[in-house]
Amino acid sequence: MKQLLCVLLSAMFLGVCGPAAAVDYSPHDTVVYSHMTNVGPLNPHMYSPSQMFAQEMVYDPLVKLQEDGGIGPGLAERWSISEDGLTYVFFLRKDVTFTDGQAFNADAVVKNFRTIMNNESRHNWMGIIDKIDRFEAVSPFEFKLVLKSPYYPCLEDLSLPRPFRMLSPASFPEDGDTSKGIKAPVGTGPWKLVKTELGEYDLFERNENYWGGKPNPANVLVKVIPDPVSRAIAFESKEIDFIYGEGQINFDAFDRLRKTPGVEAKISGPMGTMAVALNSAVGPTKELAVRQALQYVTDKGSIVRGITLNTHPQADTYFSPIVPYCDLKLEPYPFDLNRAADILDKAGWKIPQGKKFREKDGQPLAIDFCFVGNNAAHKSIAEVMQAQAAAAGIKLNLLGEEADSFYSRQKGGDFGMILSPTWGPPFEPHAMVSSMLLPSHADYMAQIGLPMKAEIDAKIHEVMSAVDKKERERLYREILTTLHEQAVYLPIFYSVFFEVYRPDHLKNVGFGAGGTDIPFEKITIE
Amino acid sequence: MLKFIVKRLLSMIPLLLIVSVVVFLILHLGPNDPAMSYLRLSNIPPTDEALANARAELGLNRPLVVQYFEWLSHALRLDFGISFTTKAPVTKHLLHYLPNTLYLAGVSMLITIVFSLPLGIMAAKYKGRWPDHFSRVLAYIGVSTPSFWLAFIMIIVFGVKLGWLPTMGMGGLRHVIMPAVSVALMSTCINMRLIRGNMLEQMHSRHILYARLRGVKESYITRSHVLKNSLIPVVTALGMHVGEVLGGAVVAEVIFAWPGVGRYAVAAINNRDFPVMQCFILMMTVIFVLCNLFTDILYAALDPRIRLEEASSNG
Repeated sequence: MKQLLCVLLSAMFLGVCGPAAAVDYSPHDTVVYSHMTNVGPLNPHMYSPSQMFAQEMVYDPLVKLQEDGGIGPGLAERWSISEDGLTYVFFLRKDVTFTDGQAFNADAVVKNFRTIMNNESRHNWMGIIDKIDRFEAVSPFEFKLVLKSPYYPCLEDLSLPRPFRMLSPASFPEDGDTSKGIKAPVGTGPWKLVKTELGEYDLFERNENYWGGKPNPANVLVKVIPDPVSRAIAFESKEIDFIYGEGQINFDAFDRLRKTPGVEAKISGPMGTMAVALNSAVGPTKELAVRQALQYVTDKGSIVRGITLNTHPQADTYFSPIVPYCDLKLEPYPFDLNRAADILDKAGWKIPQGKKFREKDGQPLAIDFCFVGNNAAHKSIAEVMQAQAAAAGIKLNLLGEEADSFYSRQKGGDFGMILSPTWGPPFEPHAMVSSMLLPSHADYMAQIGLPMKAEIDAKIHEVMSAVDKKERERLYREILTTLHEQAVYLPIFYSVFFEVYRPDHLKNVGFGAGGTDIPFEKITIE
Repeated sequence: MLKFIVKRLLSMIPLLLIVSVVVFLILHLGPNDPAMSYLRLSNIPPTDEALANARAELGLNRPLVVQYFEWLSHALRLDFGISFTTKAPVTKHLLHYLPNTLYLAGVSMLITIVFSLPLGIMAAKYKGRWPDHFSRVLAYIGVSTPSFWLAFIMIIVFGVKLGWLPTMGMGGLRHVIMPAVSVALMSTCINMRLIRGNMLEQMHSRHILYARLRGVKESYITRSHVLKNSLIPVVTALGMHVGEVLGGAVVAEVIFAWPGVGRYAVAAINNRDFPVMQCFILMMTVIFVLCNLFTDILYAALDPRIRLEEASSNG
């Protein structure tokens, strides 16, 4: 009977479902990276589940974000802008073909723009969507884009990882509507997606004819590893070669790896800001004094030391000074408990005899602090800030909830404070500042109680259409200075990307220009 | 026996219906808004207009009863809708991942059986001597060790330090060893002690004493009388271990990046991907019920009293 039992179970489990074969690749010419999910269908004109870093690998934009934050040539080798800022003419490269052999030309660009604009409601989070009036192929290699009104970040929006990326005309569905799906992920980028094994890996092969020069590695293998701890271990056991990005591994794993001999662990420059938005419309944070006091009671240095293990730079302004238009030399709010106490006392928030927290007119100084509860780093930040605020008599009620409840609160303005990281390059400052106009965003809800909100919104509209750079600098200075002085945001630290590899195996490893661009093509394998 | 199996299969229908109602209600009456989840996972800003469109698209603006029956009618055709996250049919992806989980669970069950049987027998046969002490210590460690902790320790020792076994992914037999051992350890230890206890109980029963008096060989007594009778409760326990193993596989799949259905479900729960969660819970219910049925059939095959009882009640 024992044998029968064994045979039955063996047949049931092993006979029916045998193991899949592991991916076959040569470690001498393949960079092995990992990501939390498969890269998805890689539709260049759509969003989730296509992963942005992989869309960047396969598809090119007309213009590309540069490392200095500026815009440089992409599929367009140059462009001209009319004096009124309404007409853009892009002069396209003549030496480009899609990886399926289709020619790249102005007709292909028109076809891509047409399908994107036919689905404009899906992309209306971008300022440019509302501004596009018409577009046409002027000649085989000249593409003209006409706007309804001037929009200075036009080129910035066109450089974003989606949706303005070029799909091969042969990969369009019969009805031309890519929002419902594409035939195959074929672009002009440095990589081709050649194989996907669901839940296991995605394999990319280099585009031998890439117009920007043949990529160094022959392949990029992206293994699916959802857990950051498992990813760090996979690196240590040499299952993967390369860790890159934000949130790929935990702070302590990075700290351990950077102390490991033979491992190079690099930290990028600022890639966004971990900030808290303070609601100026409801509760105690309606008062400027309370918002300012919260700035002074937060010891950002201890958060950086204790939570990020000194991997992230402390943030004193909402946008890092390296972001275009944002090096404004604004006066930081230092950690100063006495000053916070003084401001609160003057505003009438006093600690009653025998009590721990301040009150005014019988109302306690208690603020709801919302964050996504299953995010360990966000939870730690909230807990440290709660303890720091308590030292000044401010009670923070921590509301760590699941993502939907969190976003419902954000949308409805149902929060006192809310963790609200910025989007990083290439979305800063223009896309982030534009989003301050949209009621579904935390920024809008946080600012709505400001007496000068209408003025801020008017300036945001103005800056987006300002043709003159000096004028834009002035307007950004005014907008960001007002928000800083009104203490609507409490920046904590600038988020960074981690990059971990073994220098005896990989060389020429660097950071990409934007938050989604991983420069695999420059890497050389020893 | 056939009637017994058919009867048990029919009894699954009301059970699954009840489970389907509970699953549907829990997910729809909870604090989460599926429309909000849908928008968040699709990277669409949740404006009032977008929320209204999503509710209409997902059919959430109709009465709950109508929603339930429509969902059920699709579910009966194995159509659980489209995942909010992957935008792919849920059933297709779950069926893709299911064999991998069954493979891991199957190997874990095999480890449980192959190790718990000899160790349990040795512990009973040499009661109070070193094999018994060894099995006791092993059982103590095994049931007290969380599977995720064991998984990480094994990864560090056998994957990182010694480099003997791959630390992640699916491939050849070497890939399955660490995940399967981490899943199987607790069940193995419980089973081992159960076999020991049952065997000792059998050893002290009268029919064994009489067999010895008749001069039957000790090895024959152990094999045919003691072990065979001891296995009956063990089969029941193994049926329950299937649940433990499938539950443990969820943790192992995340740690070892094993492309199984548990990892898919954990991601769905984190993302509030309602269609996947509903399908996963129903599918696991079916598997559990089928395992229980399988256990009962084995039970009847092993113990003639159950067969006869069943036959007499039917006759």
